[in-house]
Amino acid sequence: MTTETQEPQRREVARPPFYRDVRVIRVVGQILAVVAVVGIGFWLTRNLFSNMNRLGISTSFNFLFGPTNTAIPFCDNCWVIPYQFRFDPRSPVWQMVLVGVKNTFLAAFFGIILASVMGLLVGISRLSENWLVARLATVYVEFFRNIPPLVIIIFFGAAVFTAGPFPILSESWEINFPATDNNLLIINNDKWGIPGFTSTGSLVVFWAILIIGVVVAAYVWRRRTKFFEQTGQPHHRVLWFTGVVLASLVLAYFVTGQPFDMSWPVISENRRRIDGGFIVNWGFMSIAGALGLYTASHIGEIIRGSILAVPNGQSEAANAVALSASQRYRYVVLPQATRIALPPTINQYLNLVKNTSLGTAVAYAEITSLTKTSVGNGRPAFQSFIIVMAVYLVFSLTISLVLNLVNRRMQLVSR
Amino acid sequence: MTTTAPAPPRQTRMDWARKNLFRSWWSGLITVILVPLIVYLAYLSLRFFFVTGQWDAVRVNLTLFMQGTFPRDEQWRLISQIMIFALAFGIGLGTNSAASQDRAEDAGLDYERGSIAGTLARMWSLVAFISLLLFFASTDDLGNFINPFLVVGGGLVMAAIGYQAHRFPRRIRRVGWLLTATFLVLGFQVVSGFDAGGWLPLSIIFGGAVYGAVPVDRFDSAWLRFALRLVAIAVVVLIVQAVYRAVDSPGIGWDKWSGLHLTLMVSAIAIVLAFPLGLLLALARRSTLPALRMMATVYIEVIRGVPLITLLFMGQFILGFLLPQGTVLSAITRAIAVMTLFSAAYIAEIVRGGLQALDKGQNEAGQALGMAPPPIMRRIILPQALTAVIPAMVGQFISLFKDSSLLSIIAILEFLGVRKIIHAQPDFRSVAFAETLVFVAIGYWAFAFAMSRESQRLERRLRVTR
Repeated sequence: MTTETQEPQRREVARPPFYRDVRVIRVVGQILAVVAVVGIGFWLTRNLFSNMNRLGISTSFNFLFGPTNTAIPFCDNCWVIPYQFRFDPRSPVWQMVLVGVKNTFLAAFFGIILASVMGLLVGISRLSENWLVARLATVYVEFFRNIPPLVIIIFFGAAVFTAGPFPILSESWEINFPATDNNLLIINNDKWGIPGFTSTGSLVVFWAILIIGVVVAAYVWRRRTKFFEQTGQPHHRVLWFTGVVLASLVLAYFVTGQPFDMSWPVISENRRRIDGGFIVNWGFMSIAGALGLYTASHIGEIIRGSILAVPNGQSEAANAVALSASQRYRYVVLPQATRIALPPTINQYLNLVKNTSLGTAVAYAEITSLTKTSVGNGRPAFQSFIIVMAVYLVFSLTISLVLNLVNRRMQLVSR
Repeated sequence: MTTTAPAPPRQTRMDWARKNLFRSWWSGLITVILVPLIVYLAYLSLRFFFVTGQWDAVRVNLTLFMQGTFPRDEQWRLISQIMIFALAFGIGLGTNSAASQDRAEDAGLDYERGSIAGTLARMWSLVAFISLLLFFASTDDLGNFINPFLVVGGGLVMAAIGYQAHRFPRRIRRVGWLLTATFLVLGFQVVSGFDAGGWLPLSIIFGGAVYGAVPVDRFDSAWLRFALRLVAIAVVVLIVQAVYRAVDSPGIGWDKWSGLHLTLMVSAIAIVLAFPLGLLLALARRSTLPALRMMATVYIEVIRGVPLITLLFMGQFILGFLLPQGTVLSAITRAIAVMTLFSAAYIAEIVRGGLQALDKGQNEAGQALGMAPPPIMRRIILPQALTAVIPAMVGQFISLFKDSSLLSIIAILEFLGVRKIIHAQPDFRSVAFAETLVFVAIGYWAFAFAMSRESQRLERRLRVTR
């Protein structure tokens, strides 16, 4: 008889000691990390509040509703909302924040436009068959991207405007609209005037109609796209979109009783300021110009790399079907290069937005420099800068959100 | 009969111009428009540089640009620093070249050692900038007690001496790296002082060296090996500490630095301090632990979404509130802290890129060998990921170097900020703004251009060795 050895019913899984058990380590590690971070945060916050209380600084955000008590330097068009209400030293602080946000937006917007146009130009030029053009573009890129943007901004402010070739305000160059006395452009070393609009009534209805028009136009755009996809007929969606927006503009203008007047810039009688029109000051031009040129050097390199990354066969195929050089770029190379270039370009746009914070070097009233001034005037620093950080985060997140959506669509098109 | 290929037609200058300047009517038109424009621009800039420019503002204040308000009596510290850094640079260069030679030998390839002349030619922008400095210095008595030509010559000699490290036999290659790091620290401390508190950097370097060098392989017990290494490190640290306590000679802390010296130092310090932090953040963001990953992501995204100048203002206005009552930090210390925290977020993203680019198989190979996660990370993943991101790190250093100009906005007198002192002088109160600014721009440009060239070269070489 054979004795059967007793087989164990269940095989015991040898568990490691708890300090080497991954499951335990994971939980304990996370708890420790959270406790450490929360602890440090708590310690900092406690210090903050005890220090602020000790010095008698308010920890609330009520200061936002008190008066600013400072004039914004170089503030000619300090419209908070265009043509609705104007900023002055008695306005509450939250309106100053709005002015700052608006100015940051303006500088970033025009800087991005300049950077994109210039960057595209430079990127294509670097690959030009013309030796001179390619060399010039290379010099441009190597020059601008190796100098701190702050230096470029100060140089713009100093060499182009304050000590540049332009006359002082009282001796401005005035360029007339042909055959009239109206000034098309007023140029001096401080601020430039261009024609603008003035409002003669409430604009709420006007803006509402316009916004509805844009929404409708967007809807029409999609309809045209669908139409194109279903029938293959040309969609002309840009034409349709522009038409609808223009129509709503005209409609809004006449329905609300012509709320705008053309406003031409004039130099005042004492020749110390520019009245009317739309005025841009040298701080804005320095910031937008310098950052545009600086960022263009980076975007140029991105564009160049992306064009080079488009397979050679694509160009050869375009040549084979007898496209001209410009058609080859417009219809074959650039669309594919854009797809490669977009993600790094988004990064450059974000950098440009953040770099507008250097406005304080040329006294441009964007959010950071305004906040710096107002903190210098005794507003609580902590709350003020929390607001500034939130503003930049919103800017950054919005741009990356919008462009990432665009990016996703473009990438999807490829397959 | 063999047919010989017809000799290619000799390309004349006319041919070259026809091909590169006048290929089509369009190209020719651009050329015709551009040439006068370029000539005019060249005329304007040459006139500015040689005729109208009031370069006295730069020439007289050259020392101010270089070292700012650094105490003049202590200038020997800066000179020594240049010498020691040149030595460290030479040793690093030599060791690197020897290491490349080793690799080439292993692969059975020929290796041609780059010449010193070649290195100088690669960094032509720096050579040009230093020549410009020497040119200015030679035209004026700057009150320096050491001739600037001697300083530059001495630096070259030190670099050449250091370069002889490539003669070290292969088995002590690591000594070359050790010496480089040591001299970098010594060069830093010759200015900041060998006071009793300055033992940490050298302890880390020597401790790390000893950790790898202790002969522990003959012991089987992991605990014993760990304990032996610990003892060795403790001994080294104690020795270093004792030496520092014995020397204890205070120097000039960074609160008193300024000028180009401060610009270079601040960016170097910030990037060195930010690296470990950024590495940790990157690992945390890639971690499978949700809490760690979330906290790292929030930190990185918030810092990257906000401009540096805003953070610097917060450092100036708020950092004091966040610390216990009575903590006093100088403006430069706060700025360095902010720049460190700022770059850590960017370095984290760079490292994360390197980690993501690495093939999954690397990790799996480590697991197949039965390695635990930490050794896989330390011995397999990180060495490859970090090598791959070296060019991007150089890029980040360049951008930090350029960003250090923002310190002038918070009233720190670095290279750009020094202009404020100069234009407060009676002679240059409201003149020569453009001249000083152009000089500063040339300075930044020379360094950034040399570094970016070097990083492009690194990138090419790394791609080749793949």
